[in-house]
Amino acid sequence: MDRKLAWVGLASLALIALAIVATLMLGKPPQFRGTTYDPLVPAPEIALKKANGEEYRLTDQKGKVVLLYFGYTYCPDICPTTLATLKQAYTNLGSDANKVEIVFITVDPDRDTPQSMQRYVNQFDASFIGLSGSTADLQPVWTEYGIFRELGPKDASGNYIVSHTARILVVDKQGNLHLSYPYGEQWQDILFDLRLLINQGGSQG
Amino acid sequence: MSWKKVFGTLLALLLLVGCQPKSSTLEVQNAWARPSIAGQNDAVYFVIANGTSQDDTLLSASVEIASSTELHMSMSEANDVMTMKPMQEVAVPAHQNVEFAPGGYHVMLVGLAKPLEAGDTFPIRLIFKTAGQIQVQVTVKEQ
Repeated sequence: MDRKLAWVGLASLALIALAIVATLMLGKPPQFRGTTYDPLVPAPEIALKKANGEEYRLTDQKGKVVLLYFGYTYCPDICPTTLATLKQAYTNLGSDANKVEIVFITVDPDRDTPQSMQRYVNQFDASFIGLSGSTADLQPVWTEYGIFRELGPKDASGNYIVSHTARILVVDKQGNLHLSYPYGEQWQDILFDLRLLINQGGSQG
Repeated sequence: MSWKKVFGTLLALLLLVGCQPKSSTLEVQNAWARPSIAGQNDAVYFVIANGTSQDDTLLSASVEIASSTELHMSMSEANDVMTMKPMQEVAVPAHQNVEFAPGGYHVMLVGLAKPLEAGDTFPIRLIFKTAGQIQVQVTVKEQ
């Protein structure tokens, strides 16, 4: 009889422990591989011209996960390498790709038009969006997103290098800045996080 | 010594040997560039394998399909800022491989005369202080 009681007691304890662990696990936010914004902050508005003359507004994209990357078309190495990484993550989303938008914004408006930005991203995927504008239009965007840019000295042909923040910024379906990645992130890690963000919050986006 | 240890040592040796140039000459291997459009810039990547017992130096690179080329190194500064530094020359020490790869050393092609599509090839000539001129074919590919 005592033995039976002891077993029942043990089993109950085990069940309670299991319930606690399960609650902890379910209550935990998903583990992202990128750097998480803590707390999440509403992504500042972006309103810039697209190549077709229409205005692109970030606030119109709610319900989609938007990846923002800042660079320039003269860039031969870092920008194409990052866009190629984004392309791989994007392609591997399969049918979920239409829930994700990849936006390339210039840090070099003196040389980049919306058209040249779009031509540049088209080399990777025609559904990526290239944006430019005047320095006056872009300065608030760079400032609010913490994008540093510095124009290098001009060479004999008038060419110059632009040093710039190379982080990828991720805006979630609710329009919050949610994640970021440093240069060199693997496409598999970005894909992993995008899947989590796409499935997050059900249909409320 | 256990078999595991012997195997581990052999594996380590093999890996070490793999990092060293295999031939006794200076070679430029696996040259590639990304697809790009006419008028735009691009970068050429490759591995320089210096199998000789002499230090060498890459002095310059040239291609016919771009208006000019520059030896560059991409590097990160503080706060996730990336920049490129023009290099006058790149040292290639004896018995070592120097890798030109995304995010590091690259030959920047300025102003492509024609579009480059995946599968295309074009020659690049590299001038070394000791090895002289070496010409290899660059393959255009996505990654």
